Amino acid sequence: MILSLVIGFGVALGGFAFQTALGGVNRKIVARLQKRVGPRWYQEFLDIFKLLSKRSVSHGWIFDFGVIMALGGIIGTAMFMPVTENIVAFPNFDNFFIFVYLLAVGMLGMAMSASGSGNPLASVGVMRALTTMVAYEIPFMIVVLTIIKLAGTSSVSGIASFQQLAENNWFMIALPFGFVVAVLSLMGMLGKKPFETYIAPAEIASGPMVEYGGKQLGMLFIMHEITVFIEVSLFVHLFLGGAENIGMFVLKYFLVYASLNLISNVNGRFKIDQVVVFFYKWPLALAIGQAIIAIYLGWVI
Amino acid sequence: MASIELLILLTLALALVSYLLYMWSPRLSSSVTILGSFLVFGSIVYQGYIGSFDVGVNYLPYVSFQASALSTFFAVIISFTYAMVSLFNPYFLKKETNGRLHNFLFLMTLAFVLGVLFTNHFMTMFFFFEAVVWTSLFMIPLKGSKQAAVMYYGFSAFGSFALLAAIFLLRANSGSFLIDESLALVGGSNQLAIFALLVIAGMAKLGAFPFHLWLPEVLGKAPEHTSALFSGGLEKLGAFITVFALVRLAPFGPNFSAVDLAWTKYVVAIMGALTIVFGTLMAIRQDDAKKLLAYSSMSNGGYMLVAFSLMNNISLMGGLYHVLAHALASVAAFLAIAAVARQTNTTKMSELGGMIHKMPVTYMVYLIAIISMAGIPPMGGFISKWLIFQAVINKGLIFVAVAVFFGSVGSFLYVFRPLAALFLGQELPQFKKTVKEAPIFMLVAMVILSILNLLTGITPTPILRVINTVIVELGLESVVLTRYTIEGYNGLLHPGLIALVFVFGVFVAFLIFISLKKSKKVGLMDTYTAGNFIYTEELMHYSVDFYAPLERLYEKYIHIAKNVYASIDHKIKEFARLVKYFVFSYKPEITAFWLVLILIIFLWGDVL
Repeated sequence: MILSLVIGFGVALGGFAFQTALGGVNRKIVARLQKRVGPRWYQEFLDIFKLLSKRSVSHGWIFDFGVIMALGGIIGTAMFMPVTENIVAFPNFDNFFIFVYLLAVGMLGMAMSASGSGNPLASVGVMRALTTMVAYEIPFMIVVLTIIKLAGTSSVSGIASFQQLAENNWFMIALPFGFVVAVLSLMGMLGKKPFETYIAPAEIASGPMVEYGGKQLGMLFIMHEITVFIEVSLFVHLFLGGAENIGMFVLKYFLVYASLNLISNVNGRFKIDQVVVFFYKWPLALAIGQAIIAIYLGWVI
Repeated sequence: MASIELLILLTLALALVSYLLYMWSPRLSSSVTILGSFLVFGSIVYQGYIGSFDVGVNYLPYVSFQASALSTFFAVIISFTYAMVSLFNPYFLKKETNGRLHNFLFLMTLAFVLGVLFTNHFMTMFFFFEAVVWTSLFMIPLKGSKQAAVMYYGFSAFGSFALLAAIFLLRANSGSFLIDESLALVGGSNQLAIFALLVIAGMAKLGAFPFHLWLPEVLGKAPEHTSALFSGGLEKLGAFITVFALVRLAPFGPNFSAVDLAWTKYVVAIMGALTIVFGTLMAIRQDDAKKLLAYSSMSNGGYMLVAFSLMNNISLMGGLYHVLAHALASVAAFLAIAAVARQTNTTKMSELGGMIHKMPVTYMVYLIAIISMAGIPPMGGFISKWLIFQAVINKGLIFVAVAVFFGSVGSFLYVFRPLAALFLGQELPQFKKTVKEAPIFMLVAMVILSILNLLTGITPTPILRVINTVIVELGLESVVLTRYTIEGYNGLLHPGLIALVFVFGVFVAFLIFISLKKSKKVGLMDTYTAGNFIYTEELMHYSVDFYAPLERLYEKYIHIAKNVYASIDHKIKEFARLVKYFVFSYKPEITAFWLVLILIIFLWGDVL
C-alpha cells in the first residue's frame, strides 16, 4: 500500500514536471508559428516558483480551503493514472469514471474558492467553465461508452492493453468518428481556443483566476499542469493504444499536446452559448452515430 | 420490541399525544414527534437487522403484515429521514400557520408509511397509501400555499386510482389480493395494463415525467423542513411501487435484441431518461433554492426508474443504493437550506449571499450533500451512479446513456448555484447582523447526515450486503462483493482507496500551503474591479440569472408540459360543457331533441 502511494505520488510529481516542461516547449513552438522567439523552455517553472515564493492576499478561509481541495483532488486523481503497462500505482482500480469524477472534486474546489473571493468576474468565469463542461463532457462520455463496451473493461490500462492485441487497431483508427469527437472534447477540456471562453483574459479578466496571486495562484498553476497531464494521458491511453515504455508515452503525449496547440492557435474564441450549441450539434451526432455503428451494427475497423 | 402493529398504533397514539400537548407546551409536543420518529427508526433497525419482525396482528381488523428485506430497507431509509427532520420540528413552530397540525400529521404519515411498506395485502396497502396522501396533503399548505396542495392531491389521486385499477386487474387475474401471490401469477391479456398502471402509480408518486408538475410546486411551497420530508421520505414510496412493477412482475413483450431488454422496460427506461434531462434543465434555471432541489429530486427519480427497468443485479443494486444515497443527500441539502431560510425568511438565491461567514457548519453540510448529489467521490452518490453507469454501458443503451451522463454533469451546474449565490459571494449588509449559526439540534441532525453521506461513500460494502439480501429476495443473483471492493461488469471499484488517495492528495496540498508564506487577510469588497469604484455589496454579487447564456438556449420550450396539461384541462372543460348543454338544460329545443331521439330509439325497437 505504501509503495503504491509512493508510485502514485511519483506519477503525479513526474506528470507535473513533464507537463510543465512540455508546456514551455509548446510556448516556443507557438511563438515560432507567430514569428516570435518565445520564452525559454523552463519559463513555466520560473513563473510557478516565483509565485509560490511571493506574499499574497486571502479573502477568507474558503478561499484558501478551496485551493487546497483543488490541488489535493487533482494530485489524488493523478495518482491513479497509469503511465506505461508497468507503471501503474493501483492496478485494476484505474477505472475511467474515477478520473472523470475525482477530477470534478478538484474543479469544484477551485470553483468554490473563486466564488468565495467575492469577485463577480470570478463567478462569471466559473459559470462559463461549468457550462463548457456540460457541453464537451457528453459527446466524450458517449465515445468512451463505446470504447468500454468494445474493450469489456473500464480500467484505463486495460483499455490500453486491449488495443495492443494483434487483432485490434488503436481506437483512433477503429472508431474514426469517435476520435474526431474526442479531439474536439479534449480541446474543450484543456480550455484551448476556440473553447477558452471561461478564461477569456481581455473580457472577464481571466475569469475564475481573477483574484489570485502569490502562493494560491502558484498552487492553481500546479493544479492546472497536473490536470492537463491527466487529460492528455487519458487520451493517449484511450485512443493511441497506451505505451509500452516511457519513451513511447512521451512521444505520443508530445504529439497530441503539440498538435492540439497548433490547432488551437489558428482559431478565434466562441461565445459561451456558441460552445454549447457547437458541441450538441455535430460532435454529439457523430458520437451517437459512432456508438450505433460500433455497438448495434458491430462495424469496427 | 413491539410488533409492527403495535409500532403503528403507538405512533398514532403519540401523534394524538403531541396534538393534545401542544395546548400546554408547543416545544413538548415537538419533542414527542422526535421521540416517536426515533423510536420507530430504532425499532425498525433492531427488528430488521438484529432481531426479527413480529408480524402478528391482535387489534387491527382486516390487516395483516409481512416483513421482507425490501420493505425493511425502505422503512429504514424513510424512518431515518423522519428522525432527522423531526429534530427540526421545534424550531419551525413559529414559521407555520398551524404547528399543532404539523406535529400531529408528521407522526400520522409515518405510521401510515409503515403500513404501506409492511402489509401483505393489496387492499390494505391501498388504504394506507391513500391515508398517507390524505395526511401529507395537509402538511403542505401550512406556509400558506393552497395551490400546491391541490396540485399534489390531483396527481396523487391519479396515481392512487391507477394503483387501484391495477389491484383490481391483478385480483381478476389471480383471484387473490395477496401481494406475493397476485404478482407471481400475472399473465394473459391484462399483463400490459397491469404493468402500465403500476408504473404510472409509481411514477406519479416519484414525480417522474410526465407526472412531475406537482413536485416543484409542493417542495417549493411547503414549509422548509416538510420539503425535506417529501424529498427524502414520501417520494421514495414511488420507488417502492415501481419496484413492484419493474422487478417483481415478470418481463414480457417482444425483446429488443440490440439491448437485450423487453420493449416495455425500454419504454420505462426512456421515460426515466426524459425525467433526468427535463429535471436537470429545469433545475438549472430556478431562482428558488428549494425549487432547484425539487427538480433535482425529480432528476434523481429518473435515475431510479432507469436502474429498476434494466433488470439485472448491478442496476438493481445501483437503484436501491441510489434511493439511500439520494435520500441522505437531498435531506441534508434541504435541511441546510431550511436552516438558512429560518434565519433569513427567504430561499430565493437572488436575495441571499455570503451566508458562509455566519453559518460555516451549515455550509459544510450543504457542500458534502451536493458532492454526493453530483455523484463525485468520496460520497455515497458516486457508488450508486457508478453501478448505474456499469449497467447502462453493459446493455449498450446509447440514448439512455446520453441522458444519464447529461444528468450527472448537469447536476454539477445546478448544485453549484446555491453554493455560489447563497453561501458564497459577497456578504450582503442586511444579513451581517441578524444571521446566526443554526441551533444545536438542527446542527446535530445535519452533521449526522453529513457523516453518513461520507460513510456511504467510503465503506459502502456493509450496506451493499444488506442490499444483496434484497436482490436475492427479488430473485436475482447477488453482486460479488469483497471486504472493500465492488465488482461491476467492466471493472472493480475500491471506494475506500479513492477516499484514502484523495485524503493523501489533500494532505500534500495542505503541506505545500502551510509551508509557504502566510497571506494577508483582506475584505471581500477589496477586489479587482477594473478601475471602477463600487461600494455596494449587491453590485458585486453575481447571483441573478446565473446560467443566463445556457438558459437562453432552451427557455422557449420550458412550458411544453404545462401547456399540454392546460390543453387537456381545456378539452375536458369543453366536453363537460357539451354534456351540460345536452343533458342538464332547461331549453325547450333540447327537451324536444331528446323526445325525438327517444321516440326514434323506441320505434327502432327490434334492433336495440
